[in-house]
Amino acid sequence: MSETRQINVSKTGVSKLAIVVLAIIFAAGLFLVGFDQGHIFSLVYGEQAFEDLYIHELTHDMRHAAGFPCH
Amino acid sequence: MKTFLFIVIVLISGAFAGLIHGTVNFAIVEPYLDQVIGIENQNLFASGEEKDTPEFWVEYEGYRIWQKSGQMLAGVILGTSIGALFGIVFALSRNSLPGNNDVKKALVLAGIMWFTMFVIPFLKYPANPPTVGDPETVVLRSILYLSFITISGFGVVGFYKLSQKFQNKRKLVPIIGYGIFISVVFFVMPENPDEITAPIDWVNEFRIMSFLGVTSFWVSIGVILGFFWNRFSPNKETTQSYN
Repeated sequence: MSETRQINVSKTGVSKLAIVVLAIIFAAGLFLVGFDQGHIFSLVYGEQAFEDLYIHELTHDMRHAAGFPCH
Repeated sequence: MKTFLFIVIVLISGAFAGLIHGTVNFAIVEPYLDQVIGIENQNLFASGEEKDTPEFWVEYEGYRIWQKSGQMLAGVILGTSIGALFGIVFALSRNSLPGNNDVKKALVLAGIMWFTMFVIPFLKYPANPPTVGDPETVVLRSILYLSFITISGFGVVGFYKLSQKFQNKRKLVPIIGYGIFISVVFFVMPENPDEITAPIDWVNEFRIMSFLGVTSFWVSIGVILGFFWNRFSPNKETTQSYN
């Protein structure tokens, strides 16, 4: 006669995966809105991105309004 | 913990709060930005850097539309970003926060983060409108601003952790400790190196509107994430069974 035992393991802690995902989103979003001066688009457009400043101009008003140094 | 649900409600809360922030800014900060950029244009004409021509105004209108349209989008991105940090801290500290429901707990945490990561840094490095700020010093100012926020944020966490080692006066230790610590940091950190060249009344009014806009974000993120947490309980335990 065989006996089956069931072990229940409860997980109540904060998911490490969630922390990593959210930390990456936090850092990326903060850089994009608060500090990019052409760096992200320079990966595609090279030095020209530092002249065009598309993301800088797009986030310009929020950057000032939220207190980030802008220019 | 329900990982996917947790991430989703945190990101949605941040995006909504950011949208509210962007909307508030659009209503109360944009008029000041328009006025100050108008002064900036007059300075450019006076210095001879630009000429008051129809071509100038066509180009100007083009990039102002781009900048204004970005207010909402940037609000959602920034809100999602700061909301992600808020979600992490809330999940880690929820059991220690006062309040008999998640909305109250989230509002308490939002109040603490608003004060330590916005109000205190704002007193040292307040928001400035476009005419204020030398492009040559933007990297230095960014480093100072981010450093102060980081030091202040970690300062609170550090003194909270330290207070847990005390049997008595657990509430007083982090408050007094952080107060002394941040006061020293406040006076040691260098001042903003740029002079204010715009009329100070306009700059101060702009700062008040900026302050109200950011405050609207922190109130919103507390209410929205607290509501979602109450509704969906992402912290409820998941059970794995083994035979």
